[in-house]
Amino acid sequence: MRADPLPYHRFGSRRTSCTLILLSLVLTAAVLFGLTSGAVPIPASVLWNTLLGFDGPRQDFILLNLRLPRTLLAALTGASLAVSGAVIQSLLRNPLASPKIAGINSGAAFAVLSCTLILPAHASGLAPYAAAAGGLAAGGLVWIMASRGQVDAARLTLIGVATGFALDAAVEFLLVTQTGPEFSAPMIWLTGSLWGRGWTHLAGVAPVLSVLILLAFLLSFRLDLQYLGPARAAALGARNRLERGAAFLVAVLLAAISVSVVGVIGFVGLMAPHIAMRLVGGRHWPLLPAAALTGAIFCAGADAAGRAIAPPAEISAGIVTALLGAPFFIWLLISENRSQRGTG
Amino acid sequence: MLAGCAAIAGGTGLSLATGGRSDVGLADLSGLFRGAEATLAEQTMRDIRVPRTLSAVLLGANLGMAGLLLQAVTRNNLASPGLLGINQGAALGIVLGVAAPGFAAVPLPLLATFCALAAAALTFAISGAFSGRIDAMRLILGGIAVGALGFAAVRLGYTLEDDVSRQIVRWTVGDVAGVRMDAVGRLALVAVAGGGAAFALAHRLNLMALGQAASHGLGADPRRTLAAGTAVAAILTGVSVSVAGPIAFAGLVVPHLAKSLAVPDYRRLMPLAALLGAGLLAWADALSKLWPGMAEIPVGVVVALIGAPWLLAAVLSGKGAGNAR
Repeated sequence: MRADPLPYHRFGSRRTSCTLILLSLVLTAAVLFGLTSGAVPIPASVLWNTLLGFDGPRQDFILLNLRLPRTLLAALTGASLAVSGAVIQSLLRNPLASPKIAGINSGAAFAVLSCTLILPAHASGLAPYAAAAGGLAAGGLVWIMASRGQVDAARLTLIGVATGFALDAAVEFLLVTQTGPEFSAPMIWLTGSLWGRGWTHLAGVAPVLSVLILLAFLLSFRLDLQYLGPARAAALGARNRLERGAAFLVAVLLAAISVSVVGVIGFVGLMAPHIAMRLVGGRHWPLLPAAALTGAIFCAGADAAGRAIAPPAEISAGIVTALLGAPFFIWLLISENRSQRGTG
Repeated sequence: MLAGCAAIAGGTGLSLATGGRSDVGLADLSGLFRGAEATLAEQTMRDIRVPRTLSAVLLGANLGMAGLLLQAVTRNNLASPGLLGINQGAALGIVLGVAAPGFAAVPLPLLATFCALAAAALTFAISGAFSGRIDAMRLILGGIAVGALGFAAVRLGYTLEDDVSRQIVRWTVGDVAGVRMDAVGRLALVAVAGGGAAFALAHRLNLMALGQAASHGLGADPRRTLAAGTAVAAILTGVSVSVAGPIAFAGLVVPHLAKSLAVPDYRRLMPLAALLGAGLLAWADALSKLWPGMAEIPVGVVVALIGAPWLLAAVLSGKGAGNAR
């Protein structure tokens, strides 16, 4: 389990680079799959013609204005959620941790639904800001409540779970008391979907998310220290409060902003870091990029699969990630059970 | 014990006295046995209010006992039907029964109970319980994973039918508004049978509380206790969910209240949890009808609105749910 200090040290750097390159290739494949699948099937030849500017039959509008931004957005938010999850997991030294555990998703959901209820006319425009603010507020609240004295990882997890439950209860209350016609839009958002997302959404979040991901990468060496636990990190010269606070802020912002555009896509922040750790080990420098790539593959692939399964109907990406993520997670837990028993 | 009885009496009275028609009051209870000659108000009381209140009371008792059983057999204060994926498993059973033509012939409570059992078994398999040693963190992890899987499948089942999504949300948060007498009979049957079984297990649960090794040494196989306790809890939960949807938090809050009120002897805790659960749900049902200025809200939301802040307060004060590990 992740709670042991830096468990996977056995991989060399050559294997790490190979893995990262391989993940990038898989991501490219996932993006191409995302471009071809959907209500209008697009064969590979038309795809190349359109993307690379060849002559011949083209599908400019569907590919360039609908599927490309949507798929890129899926990949970007997937990467953000995964990095956020990896940072939160190592800060809390807890494999259970994910953006959801810190109450971020529920805070964002509550803010968006309140927004649709109070200002229905401006709801669509305000929703992203409301989600980001709500997620940040919930994450900050959890941090403040947990940080009286030392920030204790187990305490923070419990407080995060409890805060999330409280906000979920409020969300349910809003959902069942709401009677307006705008009911299905929040529902789709709550399940996590990229339906109707385009260049404007991508342009709105891409700069911020890219900078935040880079920041997280820069923090990765400090995270190695923090992963040893606050006491040992302090003994090795880390400024705990500053470093942990900064890392947590980056993680919360990544998750909250992602949720604000694509809704609650579960399991990416929980799963991708686990997969990445199995691939490249526990040190944060290869771990965070690997997690970002894995998360991007996961999200882009889920969105594409959701469109490919039963066209023209769409299955929300959030449902696909949960249906894929939960069994994988279960398998992961069982296999770790076995290996633990084997080694005594 | 007295507090539990008082809570039930007050909540039941209030729940019976409130509702959509203000002209129906407790006095109309006298019409219960009047058959066809009953006035309209008396019929309302007999056919709508009484089944609804009874079902709330029985649901509370069932869920309280299920939660206490699970917390005892896993020796984990955070265990509850909702957190171990049992609620979501039962919900998946319902959706299967409604949406999949192949399961149409199976009665819904049976299907829900079976899926609840399967979910519990999966959660325990993940947590390593069948090897005789339960890891608390793994148990919660597994429960969350199983629950998420079940709920994603539930959502998938309804994705394609947009019109019913509002009712589904109402159902998935737990609602007793439409419950009639036949469901009450089912709940009562399970409450009596499950309560009896839980009480019979109480001695083993007491041994279990001493620790798995001590329990083994005193002649009770902890694995059998685990299996029996979970099976009873899954049946209690499965039938409850098939009637009213997965009501969260009742199974988490009630056992904690019971443990804070009584000595840690499961022969006393079990009836107390049943009483407290019944009282909690009766009050929640009454409150759900009294909410000012808008339509009724489902009782599950009221329970969640009470339970979630309580959980947060308990965690913040360092008591109650604090010892998850």
